[in-house]
Amino acid sequence: MSAIAISGADFLREHLRARLTLILLVAIPALFVIASASVLGEFAAALGGSVAGDSASALGAGWAAAFLAGALGFFQVSSSREADRRLALAGMGATRVAVARIGASVVLGALVSAVAFLTLLLSAGIAHPAHTFAAILIFALTYIGIGTLVGSFVNGALEGSLTVAFIFLIDAFSGPGMSGSGGIAQLMPTRKAADVLIDAGAGMGSPIGDWIAVGLIILGALGLAAAAFWLSARPRSA
Amino acid sequence: MTAAKHPILRAEGIEKSFHRGIPPWRSRIEVLKGASLEVNRGELVGLVGENGSGKSTLMKVIVGLLERDTGAVELDGKLGYCPQIPLLWEKLTVAEHFELFARAYALDPAAARRASTDLLGELQFERYRDYRIEDLSGGTRQKLNLALALMHSPDLLLLDEPYSGFDWETYLRFWEMSEKRRDAGMGILIVSHFLSERERLDRIYELRDGRCVEA
Repeated sequence: MSAIAISGADFLREHLRARLTLILLVAIPALFVIASASVLGEFAAALGGSVAGDSASALGAGWAAAFLAGALGFFQVSSSREADRRLALAGMGATRVAVARIGASVVLGALVSAVAFLTLLLSAGIAHPAHTFAAILIFALTYIGIGTLVGSFVNGALEGSLTVAFIFLIDAFSGPGMSGSGGIAQLMPTRKAADVLIDAGAGMGSPIGDWIAVGLIILGALGLAAAAFWLSARPRSA
Repeated sequence: MTAAKHPILRAEGIEKSFHRGIPPWRSRIEVLKGASLEVNRGELVGLVGENGSGKSTLMKVIVGLLERDTGAVELDGKLGYCPQIPLLWEKLTVAEHFELFARAYALDPAAARRASTDLLGELQFERYRDYRIEDLSGGTRQKLNLALALMHSPDLLLLDEPYSGFDWETYLRFWEMSEKRRDAGMGILIVSHFLSERERLDRIYELRDGRCVEA
């Protein structure tokens, strides 16, 4: 196995050995998909939106994956910054450390997406499974970028978690089907993924333009994550 | 011991300052103001100074963890660095740390196995090989921290207070290990606090007002 593969596997192990992470991996999708979907329609209506039924359940799965991936992305950067820098200095190099971290993050993103997808499948049924899984994964990958970006600027666990949660709340409540479609809602990172997920939840496909847009957003998010990991592993100027 | 003069580390005129606070209340703290030092092969050199004098900053600049403002660092050979606080991954085991660093140092599997077995024995923590870091005491973490710096047999070893948390026996063993490696030709720079250690060192630099003065 290469140095990158071994480091990536170790970075993944570091998260999956945390019992609380495993509990939250199951509990958060259950909360978002099962417990909150029933009231999501009423909540959306109160905010001026129209999402309801299976689309609301599907959207809940996307949010669950986004929230978990954002938090994991943040802790990938913040919890081991100094140790990663030491490993890079020992000969691994910042680029290889960053690649290993990205690999571990993408696997974690796929894992949280799979759990959210399964929760949705078991609780509400899915009319368009391939599109639904793809859209949930897009939520997760987008938030890996956001979480790692926050991690590269914010050191404290509490401050970083709150910042990720703050971005998540603005994103979720201003998304399509929730509070509206103009202004800040147009700029939210998961807007297109939410469109795809709502369509998939309702058993419909999405226009090619939406898929191209989410592809570009994923590339941007993973590029941000790579930069954040690289900056964390390289020598500091102060 | 008097070593043949063969510099393995030469740091010249290192300056380093930090910025604190946010504009317009931002202030600049000058920590290193032209620090210079030299370590030769087969030499055990101490770096002493008051708390906050910049010893760890100088170490970090030399190894490349911090960028210097000005000055030059010349290294000749493989570098080993033992940071003051063990920089490890809490959920990984001791064995996984050895494997990870063996890859970073580009050691072949046989050399990596031999190095980890030797160091686990020398520092007497073999039984913790499969323990996660979160389950280790401070002293055992420090042993691993030191072992990771040594596993590729560096030519120059930088030790930043490597024995905090060691019991007395381990502390003595640490000095035996350092002297053995020094005698084999390794250059060692160690941040030290205790006057009693001075007799173990070949030379001592004192970091005073941002500059190194040979004591």
